[in-house]
Amino acid sequence: MIRQFLEQKPFARFLLVFSICTICLTGVIWACSDSGETEYSVFAPEYFVNEKYSPFFYASDVVYYSVGYAESSNTQFNSIVFVEWDTYFKQSVPSTNLKYLLFISGVNSIDSVDHYVNGLSQSIPKGFTDTARSSLTGKKAKQFFDYLKLARECESYAVNDDWSSWDTVRRHYANADLEPRLLTAFHSAKDRFIKERLWFQLVRYYFFSGDADNSDLVVKIFDQYKNNFPHDLMWYRSLGYVAGHYYAAKDFARANYLYSLCYEFSNNLKIPSFWSFHPQEEADWEQTLKLARTKAEQVTLWQMLGAQQDAGRAIRAIAQIDPSSEKLDLLLSRLINSRESVTQPSDYYGNPDTVLQSDDLDKKVVEELAQKGNTARPYFWNLAAGYLNYLDSNYTAAAEFYAKAKREFPGNDTLVVAQSKVLDILLQVGTLKKIDGSVESRLIAPLNWLADLVAQRSKVENLRFANAVEDCTARLSRLYLEQGDPVKAVCFKSNTGSEVYQNSVRTDALIALLKKTDPTPFEKVMLRYYPYSLNDLYYHQALRLVYLQQPNAALHFLEKRSAKDTPLYGNPFNSRLIDCHDCDHAEPQKQKFTPLKFVQTLANIQAEIGRGKQVYRNAFLAANAFYNITYYGNARLFYEFDIATGSSYGYVDPDSLDHQYYSMSAALKYYKLALKYATGEEQKARCTLMLAKCAQNEIFNLADYDEVRPAILMDIAVDNAALKRYYGYFDELKVKYSQSAYYKDIIKECGYFRMYLKQDKPLERGKKNEMH
Amino acid sequence: MFRPLPFRYALVLLFLMGACKRTDPKDTAFYYWKTTFDLSAKQKTLLRKTNTKAIYIRYFDVKWNDLHKRSYPEAVVRFDQGACPLPVIPVIYITNKTFEKMPKNGIDSLAFNCVKLVTQLSSQQKFRPVKLQVDCDWTLKTRDAYFTFLAAIKKRSKCTLEATIRLHQIKYAHLTGVPPVDRGVLMFYNMGKLNANLKQTNSIYNGEDAGHYLRHLKAYPLSLDVALPIFSWAIQIRNGRMIQVYQKLDRMNLENLNFEKLAVTENAFRAKKSFYLLGIYIKQNDIFKVEETNAQSLEKAASQLAKNLPEDSKRTIIYYELANIDTTIFRAETIRQVSACF
Repeated sequence: MIRQFLEQKPFARFLLVFSICTICLTGVIWACSDSGETEYSVFAPEYFVNEKYSPFFYASDVVYYSVGYAESSNTQFNSIVFVEWDTYFKQSVPSTNLKYLLFISGVNSIDSVDHYVNGLSQSIPKGFTDTARSSLTGKKAKQFFDYLKLARECESYAVNDDWSSWDTVRRHYANADLEPRLLTAFHSAKDRFIKERLWFQLVRYYFFSGDADNSDLVVKIFDQYKNNFPHDLMWYRSLGYVAGHYYAAKDFARANYLYSLCYEFSNNLKIPSFWSFHPQEEADWEQTLKLARTKAEQVTLWQMLGAQQDAGRAIRAIAQIDPSSEKLDLLLSRLINSRESVTQPSDYYGNPDTVLQSDDLDKKVVEELAQKGNTARPYFWNLAAGYLNYLDSNYTAAAEFYAKAKREFPGNDTLVVAQSKVLDILLQVGTLKKIDGSVESRLIAPLNWLADLVAQRSKVENLRFANAVEDCTARLSRLYLEQGDPVKAVCFKSNTGSEVYQNSVRTDALIALLKKTDPTPFEKVMLRYYPYSLNDLYYHQALRLVYLQQPNAALHFLEKRSAKDTPLYGNPFNSRLIDCHDCDHAEPQKQKFTPLKFVQTLANIQAEIGRGKQVYRNAFLAANAFYNITYYGNARLFYEFDIATGSSYGYVDPDSLDHQYYSMSAALKYYKLALKYATGEEQKARCTLMLAKCAQNEIFNLADYDEVRPAILMDIAVDNAALKRYYGYFDELKVKYSQSAYYKDIIKECGYFRMYLKQDKPLERGKKNEMH
Repeated sequence: MFRPLPFRYALVLLFLMGACKRTDPKDTAFYYWKTTFDLSAKQKTLLRKTNTKAIYIRYFDVKWNDLHKRSYPEAVVRFDQGACPLPVIPVIYITNKTFEKMPKNGIDSLAFNCVKLVTQLSSQQKFRPVKLQVDCDWTLKTRDAYFTFLAAIKKRSKCTLEATIRLHQIKYAHLTGVPPVDRGVLMFYNMGKLNANLKQTNSIYNGEDAGHYLRHLKAYPLSLDVALPIFSWAIQIRNGRMIQVYQKLDRMNLENLNFEKLAVTENAFRAKKSFYLLGIYIKQNDIFKVEETNAQSLEKAASQLAKNLPEDSKRTIIYYELANIDTTIFRAETIRQVSACF
């Protein structure tokens, strides 16, 4: 629905960010570090950027990287809140009790506990597990209980689950009667810890008061007491509400500046502040920059803009202010990763990449800073400049930047070295024009290194190597194909294998390669990339021969295998008026056919036909068999293995309908033979119906009769010749065999035939279905 | 002495008067699709002058939440200005994904929740809805779940129930099915796929694409109201890829020194620098492709559609949509004439 693509007004959500006692991002899915980034990326930000920025690493389709799902807004600060109060009590309150009071109890149960610990009552709430009273008596505890009761009341407006609820539709506003109580408590509080929390409650109260006249009090109460308290988390959480107030008042310049202060203060305020930061017009953004009191504050603002919108622009700006700032690292990583994400990786069939050139301005600033060397980590900039050039296919420049980077590597950083190695291999393979013996020998070590990573024989944390493996193998495979070596090509990319698998000589060559007792080191590493076994290849050769109607020859390959056969689900020599695979599979079978047994039997049947023995019966059985090992039959399992179907690496496009697994030609041939030798109307009617079924399947096989796109069925011009054959068999049934018992069965069971009799030819109306 | 009008004026007049004037003009209505219901003076005047009978207000979206594995209402409408001066027909938009993901046994609860929320929101505005519209771009896969949901809504709400119908659902009705509702609303827009191709025809409305579907209208078994487009948008394209579409950006925002008009089409603008505009970040070299509707395309759409619809005296003509309408382009007179086509 296009409407949904339109931007939704973000206002309410921005406001809410600081409106909740703990800060939330509602319903946003945050990526795990193992999200889909490896699909296109080979550059790990983890090696270059301070971990505190990890939520803002580039992620292609999610808001935040590495955080996983957001903890509920209402609980996100719980662990910190607990530590603060635990410290307040000098660890004297059992933690289960403290947690119960802070996070679970309601106003009434707080009262009950208060009464209990002070000996006014004997009944205690269930959640209050440790029944020792002493830890919660005294002045400190009294202040705590008083504060807690008030704070719990404030949650009625501040803790808000509306976003995910069907139950409430109203926004909560603060009750007016809370104001005097909060003020009294605040003014009479002596303990600074308690007082600061009451101050926070007041700021938040005014934010939620919903009274436009009062809303300035958010700022007033904040400003009035801001110097009385340490600049701790509580202080910045209060500041967040002030920012939210300015945002609501459309003073975006000030709001965004204050959000940037919160962002900078601590890691747990980074995400909510980043989420709320949202300049509206260039003028307010410029104003925000002017509000920054120091260069460091300016840099923070630019980092937020850069991570949110435009890394290149922010890098240019920060480079002017402070090129050694660590805040540049995040932006550079984002610039690289987002640049990677728009490169189409070499496609499934190993075709060349879609070359998309970098944004010139962005690349230029990276190159400039790499050359100047005045950043905190010059090697990062050189690797980046090299990689951006690699992506643009400027291999010489890439190599130069990489070489410069290596000279600047920090002493013992194995991760950076591994990263560099991935980039080197990509460049090495990317520059190849031709592969000869010397190239192969140079490739042995890097290919083994990658294969070890794939096989998890070695592990480098966070290394993004999967896409490098894809790219390298695709390119090697393509080069081998170009230089006329399809067997090596298929080893690196088995989906380029049609030239091998459809050619028995080449398949035999591949078999010989796999059987080789003294492979060269290069052959050894090459075969680490080939996913199939000798058994698979033997089976593949056998299949090819069966579909060429040479079951006897196929036996030779089947018998070479060491693998155990899985029996086919149904009897592949049976047929029905209406196909029903489930029925066939459920039918009791005296004998189960494994592929080997099936091919042996088929070979015997063929031999019998050759000898002219029981030709009708044998031809009918052979026809059923050839029918059943197609897509339309009950024995699809026969051909369903990797090489044949392409289920994981195979080469066959299962949608190519003219393929042998869809073709009716063998079945038609044998049903026609059966018809020729049939005696009596019943046998002939049966053969004719089977021929009609085959003819119908051939209509389905027509290229534009595509069942995956049923919406276009109406547009299909059904091939007339195919349709004619189909109705030809129906005509024959009607004219010649209408007296047979089988004919009555057909009318009873086959809906298409009944429609045909009513002169309402179903397939001409574009309906596709099995016959019924 | 009477002088005949020059031919070209006569043509223009004929066009403006609408060749499709009928004696029994159909009811005019508007969609309102913004989260805050807040009518401007101009919008109110337009409603009065077009003799608008009702407003179809989008109450909320229903979306699937992957984390909680259930659906929730989102962007629930807020009536900031108090009650709507005209009869309101609540509209619920439900993502198709909701029906893809939700278990069968959740459908009735979803209907229950929707009706409850619609009732709550309406009673806050002191009325009881008598008609309800559901908007979902259902597919073959979700058809059964969606239709079950509609039946449940009908049963629980006791309202006259309408569902939006897209053009492809008309053409392939034998496959996509016909929803179990009292009336359908034919969405006569969003005909093409949004994309970055600058030469592509307008995806909101173009007569040629529409033409592929029209002959199937007469056979459609449901009585149809009509929804017509009176909106424009700008598609933001970066590095050849579409990244966002904005209804709030129009030609006016783009025809200035910050942008360069591209030669390839009248409708594409390249940003000459990076800057914020209306809360949107524009990066240097971003391209904005504007797709517009105007009085002329609206009239064309209406006359094309009217010719192919079976007569229906109860038909309502709903315009999408009021919250972002440009009243300088869509004047009351235009709207009245267009409604008179049906």
